[in-house]
Amino acid sequence: MNAIRLEGTAAAPGVAVGAVWRYAPGDPGAGAEAETASGDPAAAIRSAADEAARQLEALAERVRDLGRPDDAGIFEAQALMAGDPMLLDEAIRRAEEGERPAAAVQGAAAEAAAMLAGLEDELLAARAADVRDVGARIVRILTGTALDLPEGPSIAVADDLPPSVTAEIPPGFLLGVALAGGSRTAHAVILARGLGIPAIVGVEGLLGAADAAQEEVGGADLVAAMDGESGEVVLDPGPTEAEEFRARAVDLAGRRARAASLRDRPAATRDGERVVLVANIGSPGDAPRALEARAEGVGLFRTEFLFMKRQTPPTEAEQVAAYREVLEAFGPERPVVIRLADIGGDKAIPYLGLPAEANPFLGVRAIRLAYGSRDLLRTQLRAIWRAGALAAVTPHVMAPMVATVADVELLRSLRDEARDGLLAEGAPCAAGMVTGIMIEIPSAAILAPELALLIDFFSIGTNDLTQYLLAADRGNAALGALQDALHPAVLRTIAGVVRGADAAGIPVAVCGELAGDPAGAAVLVGLGVDELSADAGSLDGVREALAGATRPELDALAAAAVAAGDAETVRGLAGQLLARGLERLAAEAGAGRPRAAAGRG
Amino acid sequence: MTTAEVEVRNPSGLHARPAAEFVRAAARFKSRIRVENLTAGRPAGEAKSILGVLACGVLKGHRVRISAEGEDETAAVPVLVALIESGLGEPLGG
Repeated sequence: MNAIRLEGTAAAPGVAVGAVWRYAPGDPGAGAEAETASGDPAAAIRSAADEAARQLEALAERVRDLGRPDDAGIFEAQALMAGDPMLLDEAIRRAEEGERPAAAVQGAAAEAAAMLAGLEDELLAARAADVRDVGARIVRILTGTALDLPEGPSIAVADDLPPSVTAEIPPGFLLGVALAGGSRTAHAVILARGLGIPAIVGVEGLLGAADAAQEEVGGADLVAAMDGESGEVVLDPGPTEAEEFRARAVDLAGRRARAASLRDRPAATRDGERVVLVANIGSPGDAPRALEARAEGVGLFRTEFLFMKRQTPPTEAEQVAAYREVLEAFGPERPVVIRLADIGGDKAIPYLGLPAEANPFLGVRAIRLAYGSRDLLRTQLRAIWRAGALAAVTPHVMAPMVATVADVELLRSLRDEARDGLLAEGAPCAAGMVTGIMIEIPSAAILAPELALLIDFFSIGTNDLTQYLLAADRGNAALGALQDALHPAVLRTIAGVVRGADAAGIPVAVCGELAGDPAGAAVLVGLGVDELSADAGSLDGVREALAGATRPELDALAAAAVAAGDAETVRGLAGQLLARGLERLAAEAGAGRPRAAAGRG
Repeated sequence: MTTAEVEVRNPSGLHARPAAEFVRAAARFKSRIRVENLTAGRPAGEAKSILGVLACGVLKGHRVRISAEGEDETAAVPVLVALIESGLGEPLGG
């Protein structure tokens, strides 16, 4: 009864309680005796690699027949890796230098994996795990060790769980995935999301703790409980703890059913006032999650990923490809707001050759860079004009770090210069561009009535606005009390921005974290904000919060919030209204459908 | 030596499946074939090695140069270029 509590990074939601199945890839030392002592190591390696390729081709065929062409593609590529000249030549070279064949293969696979892991693209870098997995398969064949599969429904505990292993697990036998290593984009995590089972990655000390706990329970099954939303893993839980996790599973099933029923219609308050709910994304790879969460578009497409971690600026063609991919994924019905790069300052970029600054948050960054050289932002705007034309949509852009009327004039002249250049070259160019600015600097909030006359929309970045208004560094934990965007000073500022926008007839969005916080969303809609943009994972919660309250209730909440003395009071008021809303929704769901569907433990 | 340049338009570049398709096609020729990512400026990799092709880090919109040297080099290059242009078995958006 010595439950061990561990924590990792929540990667896929869900709650599971069940037997542990421990996966450990072949250790080349362990089954070494089984290696053919006679004969030449090169021939042994080649024949094992051939066999591995055959197995992987068979696996590819099997999953293709099951209607999973993407997995089949991975196994086909792995089959080629098993016979890859780079891999085999290196393994044979190592074996000829005296390494045991199994160790030589594992070493060569690790070397190839390290090379792929260094690629900037996440999808290509993920192939590193595939090579390591191929190496482990060849090692198993060389050493005559079999893959140990779960015998019943289990929670997989491993360092990483490669696709060729998950494909061998019988359907229904995977209850959850807890990984010591891995990332949120690991194959096993994507699989878990697809199956609707929990996944937790980066659980420090997991493997050692699992071995210790297994020793404790002896020959009996080791049980684990896990919550893929909180990131908790409990090994050998007691009856009370197991019961607690089962209760969470029931609660989650209820929430999922409610959220799913709300996803079928657009976000609105209880009395039917529509609120545009869109997603924040950081790369084209985030688009599927946002669409799945029924985002009505993208309110903030961060483009820094194109500019960071490299030695030269991204080319125009490279940017066109990235923007076009996102614009096409969302189509003409779901507008995508591309934010111009917020780089410089604290996000140092080697190829810009900027001097170090004592106070980078208040330094030369984003649109301010264009007062020195217009090239960077003009190229980005050209790429956006071109991507809009290719995707046949009207692109939306916004500039961060706008402080003055002159900044807006600079933005407009860069935009027009980019368009005129393309037209002069006869290159494809979108017919128009919806142009907005972020309101995150207090001066821009104060100047909102003037700025609104020059621009098509505002998007309030509440994180930076809070930091600048309260002069409290976002990264300084000692100033936590000054970092809550629900502070009445921030809310009054937002109210002023909305008034300025309303006078000019332009819409106001909020794309800071406040928009994804149910309490924040409730207050913001009450303040008259038209659009909320948040991480895809927050949209269900916001939709639910809005569906539980009427517009007059939200207006009253906002009026009380701006008059409150501190953020805590606002949070309390919003919490009461949200709790009432959830009760209403739960009562309706209970009345409308039988409760039996609430899920198993 | 025969060379040609082509743009890769697959949505996720030369990732697992399209890379495998390309390597299998290259392996049918006797010539030594190499592929170089011109956009990213990485050194050329062996076209008959999936690890070599993946290591080129080819993403959507990148231009690659294919060069072949050997008895069937003039046949190999146009076949591989046409294969990339056709999407390597994947649908190409737009």
